[in-house]
Amino acid sequence: MSVRSGTRPEPAWRARLRALLRDTTLAGRPLEWYLSGWRLALILLVVMVIFPWLVGSTFVADAIAVGIYITLAVGLNIVVGYAGLLDLGYVAFFAIGSYAEATGTFGALQLNSVTGEVIHTPVLPFWPLLVIGALVAGIFGIVLGAPTLRLRGDYLAIVTLGFGEIVPILFNYFPFWFGNTGMSALPPADINLGGLTITFSDPLNRIPFYYVVLAVVALVILGSFSLRDSSLGRAWVAIREDETAAASSGVNLVRTKLLAFGLGATMGGLGGVLNGAYIGAISPNDFPFFVSITVLMMIVLGGIGSIWGVTLGAIILRFIDVDLLGRISQFVQANPVVNNPVSPLHFLSTVDFNQAKYLIYGIMLLLMILFRPQGIIPDVRRRRELKGIGAAVESTSAIGVLEREEAGAELAAVDTLDQTTYAGPGSDDIGRSGD
Amino acid sequence: MANDDVLLQLSGVTRTFGGLTAVDGVDLTVRRGQIYSIIGPNGAGKTTVFNLITGIYRPTSGDVTLDGNSIVGYTPDRVLRAGVARTFQNIRLFNNMTVLENVLVGQHVRFPGDLISIVFHLPNYNRAERAARARAIELLGFFGPSMVALQDEYALNLSYADRRRVEVARALGSNPKLLMLDEPTAGMNDAETAEAVGYIQALRRDFGVTILLIEHKLQVTMGLSDRIAVLDYGKKIAEGLPDEIRTNELVIEAYLGRKAAI
Amino acid sequence: MHTMALAAAGPAGFLNFLQAIKIGITAGAIYALVALGYTLVYGIIELINFAHGDVFMWGTQVTFVLITALGITSTIGGWQLVGVLALLVVAASVFCGVLNVTIERLAYRPLRRAPRLAPLIAAIAVSFILENIAELWRGPGQIAFPNLFPSTALININQTFVVEYRDVFIVVLALVIMFALSRFILGTKLGRAMRATAQDPEAAQLMGVNINTTIALTFLLGGALAGAGAVVFTVSTAGYVWFFTGFQFGLYAFTAAVLGGIGNVNGAVLGGFMIGIVEGLSIAYLPQGSILSTAVVFGVLVLVLVFRPTGFLGAQVPDKA
Repeated sequence: MSVRSGTRPEPAWRARLRALLRDTTLAGRPLEWYLSGWRLALILLVVMVIFPWLVGSTFVADAIAVGIYITLAVGLNIVVGYAGLLDLGYVAFFAIGSYAEATGTFGALQLNSVTGEVIHTPVLPFWPLLVIGALVAGIFGIVLGAPTLRLRGDYLAIVTLGFGEIVPILFNYFPFWFGNTGMSALPPADINLGGLTITFSDPLNRIPFYYVVLAVVALVILGSFSLRDSSLGRAWVAIREDETAAASSGVNLVRTKLLAFGLGATMGGLGGVLNGAYIGAISPNDFPFFVSITVLMMIVLGGIGSIWGVTLGAIILRFIDVDLLGRISQFVQANPVVNNPVSPLHFLSTVDFNQAKYLIYGIMLLLMILFRPQGIIPDVRRRRELKGIGAAVESTSAIGVLEREEAGAELAAVDTLDQTTYAGPGSDDIGRSGD
Repeated sequence: MANDDVLLQLSGVTRTFGGLTAVDGVDLTVRRGQIYSIIGPNGAGKTTVFNLITGIYRPTSGDVTLDGNSIVGYTPDRVLRAGVARTFQNIRLFNNMTVLENVLVGQHVRFPGDLISIVFHLPNYNRAERAARARAIELLGFFGPSMVALQDEYALNLSYADRRRVEVARALGSNPKLLMLDEPTAGMNDAETAEAVGYIQALRRDFGVTILLIEHKLQVTMGLSDRIAVLDYGKKIAEGLPDEIRTNELVIEAYLGRKAAI
Repeated sequence: MHTMALAAAGPAGFLNFLQAIKIGITAGAIYALVALGYTLVYGIIELINFAHGDVFMWGTQVTFVLITALGITSTIGGWQLVGVLALLVVAASVFCGVLNVTIERLAYRPLRRAPRLAPLIAAIAVSFILENIAELWRGPGQIAFPNLFPSTALININQTFVVEYRDVFIVVLALVIMFALSRFILGTKLGRAMRATAQDPEAAQLMGVNINTTIALTFLLGGALAGAGAVVFTVSTAGYVWFFTGFQFGLYAFTAAVLGGIGNVNGAVLGGFMIGIVEGLSIAYLPQGSILSTAVVFGVLVLVLVFRPTGFLGAQVPDKA
C-alpha cells in the first residue's frame, strides 16, 4: 500500500538548487515564483522572440527545425502521453501536412503535351494551408481512429504503424504527386506592409519564417496546457487509469480517444505544413518509420505526458542530430590516441558518428524505458503510473477484457460453488487496489 | 398509467457467455424512491445484472427500460447520461488522481463537450468548472468534513472505507435518478458497515435518489431494503418484502444448502 | 473462382497465375517460420516482439558471413549443398535463438510488470539497435549474394510456370520444422510448460513450472525458427543481405501471425502462406505491383486487426486479463 516505498531521498544537488531558487529574490519575489506556471512560459517566449538577435542567423535554421519537431512531439504527446494510445505511424500526419502544403503552394505538376513544358498551378497560398493542412491531417486522424481505437493498445500501435507505411507509399504511387521524385513546396509569399516587405523566401534570412514557427509552437504548447487542465484532460487521465470506470462516469470512450487522436494528428499536420514550407521540396522518402520513432523518442526522453519534457526532448534530439554527433566525430578523430596509426583505437578515426545516430537513439530509448521511464522532466501522474503505482485491473480496452474476465469468474464461481463458502468478498479487492 | 412510479424495469433479461447462461430471464421492477436489493450466493449473476443495466454488457435477450425508455445497447456513458450511476464491487477509483479530481470526473457530463469551449476555456467552460468544483466539495462534505480535508490526496492513499465513499461521491456527481451500489459494505468491519447503512439511507433522503444495491450481508439488506430480489444460478428465485424473503424456503435452500455463511 | 476467370483468359494467363501462387507459397513458407516466433512470444507474454524481424535479419547476416568464410561464391550441388545448408541452419538458429534470449533477459524481463506499452517501446528500441549495428557494420546498401541452388527446373512450362529445386527445398524444410515444432509443443514436458504458462502464468508457477525458464525457452525457439527462416531466405530467394530486411519482413510475418490468429501456432503457418500469396498476386497483377504490394499487405494487416483481431483460427491461447 505504501506509496513512499519507491521514493529515494532527494540528491544533494537538487536540494541545493531548490534552496537557491527559493532563497534568491528578484524584485521581492523568490526566483521559483518566476519559474512556475505561465510566468515561465512568458519568460521563455520573450527569450525565443529575441533569440534570432542574440545568436545571429546561424542557429535560426536549427531553431526552425527544432520548432517543427516540438510541434510534432507536443502533438504526439496528446495521443501517447495524455490518452495513453501508442501511435507508431505519426509520420503519416506529418506527411499529409507536408503534401498538403506542397500541393497547395506549388500545385500539381503537369506536362504540357504541346510544348513539353512542365507547368504547375498553385491552388492556395501558405496561410490558409496552415489551417487546411492541419485540418486534413486531423480528419485523416479521425478517419483512421474511428475503426481502430477499440483495439487493445499494442494492436493499435501496429495498425497505426501500417497506416504510417501506407501513406508515403500512396504518395509515391499516384502520379499526381510525381512519385519518388517528389515535388516542390513553396514558402509563404512576401508580405507587403506599406514600405516594409517581409520576405520568407530568402534562404539566407530565415528570421521571418522563424517567427511563423515560433507562433505555431507557442499556440500548440498553450493549447496543450489548456487541454491538459480541462475536463477533457481529466477524462484522458481517467481512461488511462481505468476505462470501465471512466465510461461509467460518463466519459464517452470512443469520442474522447478520437479527440486525442484527431488533435494529435492536427498538430502533426501543422508540423508538416511548416516542414513543407521550410524544406522547399518533399518526396515520399522523407517520411520513413524513423520519423515516427524519433518523435516517440523525444517524448520518452523528455517525459511522457509532460509538455516541457517533450519540448526539451525535441530540443535535445535535434541538438544531438545536427550538432553533437559532428562534434563527437571531430573530437574522436582529433584525439591523439585515435590519431596514432598504431593505436588499437585507430579504427575509430574512420567512424562517422552521424551515421550512428539511430543506433544512439535506440540505445537511449532502451535505457530510458528501462531505467527512467518517466523521462527527464516527468509528469507527476505519469511517473506514478509508470512505476506501476495503483495499476488498474486492465488498462487497455478494458470493457472487452472485463467481459471475458467476468465471464471466467462467473464460470469459476459456478464450478466451485459447492465447495466454497464466501471468501470475504473484500479480500480480493484490497489486494488488487493496493498492488 | 399506474406505472408512473416505475423507474427501472428489466424484462426477461438474459445473458450468456459461451455456453454458460449467467443471467437467465430476470425480471425486476424498481420504483422511484425505493431502496431495492439484489442478493444471492457468489456467482449468482448479480454483478452481471449490474453490468447489463449499465451497458458494460449487452443482454443476449430481454429489455431494460429506464422511465419507460429502453436503454439496451447504450454505451456506459449514455446510460449515465440517462440517469444511472454506479459503483463497483472492487472499487474502481482513478488511483493516481486526487479525490477531488475523481469526483470531478464523475461530473464529466456536466461540462461543455465542444472542443472550442474546452481549448479556449470559454466562459461557459469556466462556469462549469467552478460549479463542478463547488459541487464536488459539497458531495465530499456529505461524508463529513474529514472527506473534504482529503480532497487533494491521491485516491490510492485513502483507507478502504474512504475509497468507497469517494466512489459514491463520484457516482453522485452526475445527479443520477438511480444509484447502483455493488456491495457497498464489502470488506468493512461492523462499525464501518453500520456507518455505510446510515449514509445509504441518507443518500435517498438528501439526494432523492433511488437506490439499487447488491449486498452480501443479509442483516444489512434486511434492515435497509424496501424490496429484495434473490438470484441463484442467474435466475430470480424470489422477490418481495424483507420479511417475505427471510422466510422463503427457496432462498434458505439457496444459501444454506451450499454451506454458505450468511 | 478467380482461378477460373484467369484460366479462361488463356493458358498463358493461367500459368502466370500459377507462378504467382508458387512465388507466394515459397515466400509464405518463410513468413510462416518467422510468424511462429511472433506467435509463440505473444502467446506467452502478450508482447509484440518488435525486434523479431531484426533477429531474422541478423540470421541473414550470419548466413552471409559463413558462406563467405566457406569461400562459396556460386552455385553448389549435391551432398555438398546439403551439408552446407545443414551447417547454416544450425549456426543461424543457434545464433538467433541465443540473441533472442539475450534480448528477453536484458530488455523485456525487467519490464514484465510495467505498463503494457513499456515493453513494446523497449522492443522497438531493440529493433532500432539491431538494425543500426548491422548498418554500421555492413553499410547502408544491399550486398549481393550468390544463389546456392542450381537453377535446374523441375517443372518448366513455357518458361512461365517454373518450379526449381530451391522452391521444393524451402517448402519442405519449412514444413518439417513446423511439424517438429508442433510435436515439441504438444508432446514434451517443456512444451506443456509453455502451454501452461501461456494459459495462466500464476497457476503454472504453482504447479512447479519455472516461468523465467519457460519464457526464455520460448524466445530461444522463436529465435531459432527465425534463424532457420533467415538461412532459407538468404540462400534461395533474397540474392542480397541488407540491414533493413527485418523491418518489412518482420511486419509481414507479424501480419501473418495476426491473420492466422496470434497465439495460435497453426494460425501462424496458415497466415504465413496467405500473406505470401497475397503478396505474390499483388506483385503479379496490380499496376506497379512491387510498390503497391506493400500497401496491400499493410492494408490486410489493418483490416484484419480492425475487423477480426482474433484472426482466422482465433486464439487457442486465451487472452489473459
